[in-house]
Amino acid sequence: MEEYLPFVSIDIWTMIFTWANLIILFLLLKKFLFKPVNKMLAERAAEIEDSYKAAGIAESKAENMKAEYEGKLLSAKAEADGIIKTALETADRRSDSIVTEASDKARRIMEKSRKQAERDKKNAVNEARADIAKMAADIAEKLIGKRFGEDDDEKLISDMIDRI
Amino acid sequence: MERAIVLAASAIGAGLAMIAGVGPGIGQGFAAGKAAEAVGRQPEARGAVTSTMLFGCAVAESTGIYGLVVALILLFANPLVGLL
Amino acid sequence: MNGPKVIFTIPIFGGIKVSESIVNMWIIMAALAAASIWLTHGLERRNPSKKQLALEKLIDMLYGMVTDVMGERYIGFAPYIGTLFLLSIVGSLSALTGMRPITADLSVILAWTVVTFLLIQANNIKNHGIFGWLKSFAEPVPFITPLNIISEIANPVSMTFRHFGNIAAGLVITSLVYGGLASLSAAVFSRIPNDFFASIPIFQVGLPAVLSVYFDLFTSFLQAYIICMLTMVFVQGAGE
Repeated sequence: MEEYLPFVSIDIWTMIFTWANLIILFLLLKKFLFKPVNKMLAERAAEIEDSYKAAGIAESKAENMKAEYEGKLLSAKAEADGIIKTALETADRRSDSIVTEASDKARRIMEKSRKQAERDKKNAVNEARADIAKMAADIAEKLIGKRFGEDDDEKLISDMIDRI
Repeated sequence: MERAIVLAASAIGAGLAMIAGVGPGIGQGFAAGKAAEAVGRQPEARGAVTSTMLFGCAVAESTGIYGLVVALILLFANPLVGLL
Repeated sequence: MNGPKVIFTIPIFGGIKVSESIVNMWIIMAALAAASIWLTHGLERRNPSKKQLALEKLIDMLYGMVTDVMGERYIGFAPYIGTLFLLSIVGSLSALTGMRPITADLSVILAWTVVTFLLIQANNIKNHGIFGWLKSFAEPVPFITPLNIISEIANPVSMTFRHFGNIAAGLVITSLVYGGLASLSAAVFSRIPNDFFASIPIFQVGLPAVLSVYFDLFTSFLQAYIICMLTMVFVQGAGE
C-alpha cells in the first residue's frame, strides 16, 4: 500500500533531512565546484600578474640596453670627433712648426750670407787700403828717393789714408 | 451530512480565497506597464528594468500566493473535516 | 492530489517517514555533485574549453550578483547562495523529467527559509551585538515589539509560501491538464474497438510541454532567483 504525506503539511523529519542535505550539498559544491574554479581563477590571476611583471622587467631591460647602446653610440661619435680634432690639431701644429722652421732657416741663411758679404767687403777694403798704402809708399819712395823706415812709412800712410 | 456541508463550504471557501488573485493581477499589470514605460524612455536600461520588475512582481505576488495556499489547504489538507 | 509519497520508513523514533522529496533531493544532490566534478575536471589556466568558459561565466555571474546585492564584505555567502539557487532550480526543473519537484513540499522550503531566518538573526547579532539585536525589536517604540517579532517571523513564512505556492500551483495545474488529457484521449479512443489505443493517452504527448514552459521553466527560474535575492537582501539588510 502506498502511503502519502499530506499535500500541505509540515513534516519535521523532512525538514531535518533537508537541513542535512543542504549542508552536505553546500560542502560538496564548495569542495568540487567553487574551490577548484576559484583556485584556478586565482592561479590564472597570479600567472597574469607574473607575466605582466616579467614583461615589465624585460621592457625595462630592453630600455636599459637601448639607453646603453645609445650612450655607446654617442661616446663613439665623440671619440671619433676627438680623434679628428686631435689629428687636425697635430697637423696644424706640425705645419706651423714646419713653416716656422723653414722661415727660421731662411733667415739664418740670409743672415749668414749678409755677414759673409760684410766680411768680404771688409776684407776687400782692408786689402785695398794695404794695396793703396803700398802703392803710395812706392810712389813716394820713387818721388823722394828715400826710403823711410819701415815703421814710419806704415804709420804715416795709415794716417794719411785715414785723413783722406 | 455534516461532512458534506463542511466539504462543500470548503470548496466554496477555496474558490473565494482565489479572489485574492485579483490584487496581484492588477498590481503586476501596473508594474509591467510602468516597466514598459521605463524601457520606452530608456531602452538601454532594459536589463535592469526587467530584473527589477520581475523581483517586484514576485514580491507583490505574495498576497495572491497566500490566497492560493489557503485554497490548497482547503482542498487537499482540509483541517476542518478533522474537527467533526 | 497527494503529497509526496513515502518511499520507505526508518524504524526508529516511532518510524521516520522518508518521503519522495528527500529521495529526489538525494538524486539531485548526486547529479549536482557529479556535474560539478565533471565540469571542474581538467580546468586549464590557458586556452579554456567551451565547457570551462561557460562554468567560469556562471561562477562569475554568481559572484557578481552577490557583490552587487550584498557588497564585497559578504562575498563569503556566494557558495551558499549558489547552493540554494542550484538546489531550488534543479529541484523545480526536475518536474520536467517526471519526478515530483522537491520544491512542491512545504517542509523543504520551510527548512531553507528557516536557514535564511537564522542567517538574518546571526548577521544582526554579529553586527550589533546581543543587546543591539534585542533593542532592534523595540524600535522605534517599545510598544511595537510584538509587531516587530511577527514581521520578523513573517519573512521566512512569506518566502516559504511564495516559493511553495508557485511550484505547487504549477504541479496542480500540470496534474489537472494531464488528467484532463488522459480522460479526453480515453473518451476519443474508446470508440475504437481496440483496448490498445485507448490505453495510450495520446493527447498527453506534446501539449503539456507548452504549459511546462511557463509553469516549470519560467516559474522555476524566477522562484529560485527570488528566494536567493530575498535571502541576500534580508541578510545584508540585517547587517546595516
